[in-house]
Amino acid sequence: MREYFKNIWQTVKTLLTGMGITIKHLFKIRKGNVTLQYPEEKWPRPDRNIGFEPANYNLIRSKLHVDIEDCIGCRKCERACPVQCIKIDTIKVPKGTDLGSTSNGTLKRLLVPRFDIDMTECMYCNLCVYPCPEDCIYMTGGPNSEKQPLDYEYAQYDRDKLIYKFATLTKKEIKKYTTPPKQQELI
Amino acid sequence: MGLIKADEMTLNIGPQHPSTHGVLRLKVKTDGEIVSEITPVIGYLHRCFEKHCEYLTYEQVIPFTDRCDYIAAMNNNFGYVVAVEKMMDIQVPERVEYIRIIMAELNRIASHLLALGTFGLDVGAYTPFLYMFRDRERILDLFEITCGARLLYNYMWIGGVSHDLPVGFVEATYRFLDEFEKKSEEYHNILSYNKIFIERTADVGVLPKDVAIDYGVTGPNLRGSGVKWDLRKDEPYSIYEKFKFEVPVGQGLMGSVGDSWDRYWVRAEEMKESVKIVRQALDKMPRKGDVHEALPKRVRPPQGSIYFRTESPRGDLGYYIISDGKDKPVRVKMRSPAFTALSALSEIASGWMLSDVLVVLGSLDIVLGEIDR
Repeated sequence: MREYFKNIWQTVKTLLTGMGITIKHLFKIRKGNVTLQYPEEKWPRPDRNIGFEPANYNLIRSKLHVDIEDCIGCRKCERACPVQCIKIDTIKVPKGTDLGSTSNGTLKRLLVPRFDIDMTECMYCNLCVYPCPEDCIYMTGGPNSEKQPLDYEYAQYDRDKLIYKFATLTKKEIKKYTTPPKQQELI
Repeated sequence: MGLIKADEMTLNIGPQHPSTHGVLRLKVKTDGEIVSEITPVIGYLHRCFEKHCEYLTYEQVIPFTDRCDYIAAMNNNFGYVVAVEKMMDIQVPERVEYIRIIMAELNRIASHLLALGTFGLDVGAYTPFLYMFRDRERILDLFEITCGARLLYNYMWIGGVSHDLPVGFVEATYRFLDEFEKKSEEYHNILSYNKIFIERTADVGVLPKDVAIDYGVTGPNLRGSGVKWDLRKDEPYSIYEKFKFEVPVGQGLMGSVGDSWDRYWVRAEEMKESVKIVRQALDKMPRKGDVHEALPKRVRPPQGSIYFRTESPRGDLGYYIISDGKDKPVRVKMRSPAFTALSALSEIASGWMLSDVLVVLGSLDIVLGEIDR
């Protein structure tokens, strides 16, 4: 009999303790609000790694972006990708063809007619970003946010639209670069 | 009850069921509401981890280890990375060691918070779940400012970590720990000592010492049964021997040793110990240093093999790696602690009611990503 009432008393007591905590949180709701009405409000982006030595730290995992003008076609990112979501084709050009240079000053030697990134396959591991000698593949936002603003809500209606094609070379341009210079003069 | 023998019915729980913590199917033989036999059917989340590793270089395996135990990805990285470093005989800088410990222990807190929250959810307590997720969110934010990812980090590299700590990380972590210590008392008041919760979990699904050891159960589940076995203490790896912390074991405070409440309680206490470790690590950590200093140019471990285990939030997480001296491992085998915990389920949950089976399953804290790999 005594045990029976003791159990009831304990249940009521511990329930009230729990209730007390919940009520405390109910009135604290304005101060410690943790829920944001997402599409209207967004989380502030944290200041990332400001003032640290390696300035090329890219501290966000979002959409991959390629500055195709700086790409030299070395395929290091393609090899680093564990899921093979980067697909690159390169074409050798005849000797003496001037393809220009990257913003780091490296001479370009290969044409890049295809640079596709399938963002449906990408697993945001960031492994492709580090080996790039020209820092031209990166995730949007981060220290490169001046060049490319943060984009993590890139929803599409069609899955094919998530395959991003970065190569800008037209067929005409490819033909122009691949014909040897002597023939070019003849034309 | 024993006299009336009704027809036995086979009941399927899962694969899609909120209480199975992932895609797990339980074939349950029931007599009325009493469960006589449980057969877990696994493999719904099989992603060929080991086969993938044969085609990937050593660095590329790290994101896949993330995806095995996605709740505690840092700890999974940790075990793999230290194993490869042991093979290659790399000495990592002191700062890196401290950063790794901080991350692993923070991730342990996050993992236990999720385990306790969903365990509360299994027995019908909804509020603690929300509170625990709120605090877990703070840890994920800390990870996000460190490495950009919230769940699958790919943070620890062979010979270092991918990013140095951001400015303000140490202060933010101190602030979090101060607040968290107060909150962990709150959890005890709202959930642990709640009479309804105790009635549901105490004396349910008792896992005796010898059975636990026979099944190879490790981690908090083993410690809940009263065995003091923690790799961080008994077989210290990295720099764990530098820290002072206790190993909480189940004492049967509310029922008998090794029941579901004890397993819950061990996790709740372990969070406090992790807070202690993080605090000490933050105090002692060298403030300056290059985290990329010891990165090897080429990851090509010499011929041979290694078995290395670490204490993940779920128990002994072992990696067996065979190398033939090339840049890809011949074989990577992972010993998953959640798998052994699940194998003991049938032994300890048979004879209980159907609703108790789900309580026992929740108290074992399994992650299906790790069981199926």
